[in-house]
Amino acid sequence: MASDAKPRKANAGKATAPEGTEVAAEASRPFGRLAAAAAPYLYVTPMVLLVGVFLLFPAADTIWLSLTKWNGIYPPTFIGFDNYLNLRTDPAFITACLNTVYWIAGLMLLQVALGLALAVLLNTSPLAELYKRILYLPAAISGAAIGVIWYAIFNNQLGILNAALRFVGLGDLAQAWLTTPPLNTFSMIVAAVWQGLGPTIILFLVGLQTIPRDPIEAAQTDGANAWQVFRYVTLPLLRPITVVVVGINLINSFKVFDIIWTMTQGGPYRSSETLAVTMYRESFVSFRFGYGASVAMVLTVVAFAVAVFYIRAMFQRLEVQ
Amino acid sequence: MAIVTARLKETRPGGWVVTVLVGILAVAWLVPLWLVVVTAMKSTPEYFHDASQWSLPEDPLQLFANVRDAWFTSGMGAGFMASLLYGVVAGGLAILFASLGAYSITRLRIRWPFFWFVLVFSGTIFPFQMYLIPLFKLYQDTGLYDTQLGMILFYTAIALPFCLFVMRGYFATIPRELQEAARIDGCSDFGIFWRIILPLSWSPIAVLFLFQFTWIWNDLLFGLVLSTSDGVRPITPSLAGLQGQFAHSGPPLVLAAALLATLPTIMLFLLLGRYMMRGLTLTAAGRAGSE
Repeated sequence: MASDAKPRKANAGKATAPEGTEVAAEASRPFGRLAAAAAPYLYVTPMVLLVGVFLLFPAADTIWLSLTKWNGIYPPTFIGFDNYLNLRTDPAFITACLNTVYWIAGLMLLQVALGLALAVLLNTSPLAELYKRILYLPAAISGAAIGVIWYAIFNNQLGILNAALRFVGLGDLAQAWLTTPPLNTFSMIVAAVWQGLGPTIILFLVGLQTIPRDPIEAAQTDGANAWQVFRYVTLPLLRPITVVVVGINLINSFKVFDIIWTMTQGGPYRSSETLAVTMYRESFVSFRFGYGASVAMVLTVVAFAVAVFYIRAMFQRLEVQ
Repeated sequence: MAIVTARLKETRPGGWVVTVLVGILAVAWLVPLWLVVVTAMKSTPEYFHDASQWSLPEDPLQLFANVRDAWFTSGMGAGFMASLLYGVVAGGLAILFASLGAYSITRLRIRWPFFWFVLVFSGTIFPFQMYLIPLFKLYQDTGLYDTQLGMILFYTAIALPFCLFVMRGYFATIPRELQEAARIDGCSDFGIFWRIILPLSWSPIAVLFLFQFTWIWNDLLFGLVLSTSDGVRPITPSLAGLQGQFAHSGPPLVLAAALLATLPTIMLFLLLGRYMMRGLTLTAAGRAGSE
């Protein structure tokens, strides 16, 4: 695509491309020639305008707003890097960072590791198609509805889980699942895994199906046991899809919002916020838009760092192959 | 069943143990859904009367009464209609605009085709939090705040980059000979797009529409920030609002509302689940590590 841009540049003034018969036909009329040259740009105009106005311009504006103090009523005032300096000592921000780490660890362990194990087991199971469907079902539910459903389960007084525990005589195990930090974050991770495990398994299964049988059979002939085959043959061959799944789950850990907002709203006392929730609360609950913008910036920089890690891993894979 | 056991035997000795263990997990996965449905079938007094809260509903038809109540509570019904509108219109517009752009980039004489692609696709690299505050400001300043037009415009924009990625990739696979032949027959550029390229692309369009409709239907964040009144607010913020009255309205009503908010996407999944899973692998290829 980039290659056919060059010759066009050479005869840009003439505007008659070599094979463009219909352009040549209209070339006699200067107005028609201009219209023919402009037409391709009309096709891209709607998408460029929409993305520019509603996505790219706001993203750039957030960078500027993060350097201001703004309550939404008076014009923003420039305060340099004060927002970022204040973040370092803000206990709510530090809690949010810690909770984001919990989310990453939780999703890596319960979603990626468990998902990989289940995909390997399901790959040879005769009931794989049925299990896949069942495990994927919650992924069709919105994050908000997932939050509502698990709120009904984990709720302290009215919750189904505590009621069931008391009913079978295990009342001692009943917990204030959503109001005790950091248990509330762990409870919400369970809800998130309920939603996200299915898609993770399916991605791993797609990866497993691309693995050739030969190296596995060769290893089995050489006397490798099931674990050795997995560890030294399957896992390295799965590397490309693993990189994708880990990347997706890392990013999901940063942007988790819906489940937290519907289950605890980040509370009690801001104990279960993540960076995405802190950003929302500072901006649209406390109306400290400049401060909220600086949280968005931190989130973005960290997410970009993860993306760089992800892309580098992809390139390493290409070199290996 | 005979085939199943035969395949079990040939796979490996521990195969059935694995099948049973994963089966237990699959059943566990269905328990929350079961609880939601059963609870949504109870009346509020019935729910509070039952100590275990696991018993079967006395009258399953109570479900319809609960869903009806939910429809008229906290703007759920209006949110349902609004989300339907946004999903269909914005999803459709995004695919149309992305297809026009992809056609120009892959088939017309436009300068720097790759630049235009990267410009639009860069709309997927930022976390959503980067858009929220300036969008809120922009919407307040222009009067788009809390309007259906504003919601449609934004949802179209956010769905566009991924649609462009898919359509551009798909158009590149359509043979150029078709286009040349149509041109010789006197077809205009737009005619080629509308009568030849687009009809050939119904399969990625269907997957994209399914995918974008579901995404828009499920969005909470932008609905919270850009709208507030019934009739404009999508269904998910309405559900989140209803959630705030959990103890007051009673769990059966709230869970019936959650079911209502889940109905269209679950239906789509049950009908077209295969395409949805395909959409998932598309996403993984397209924007892993971006969003």
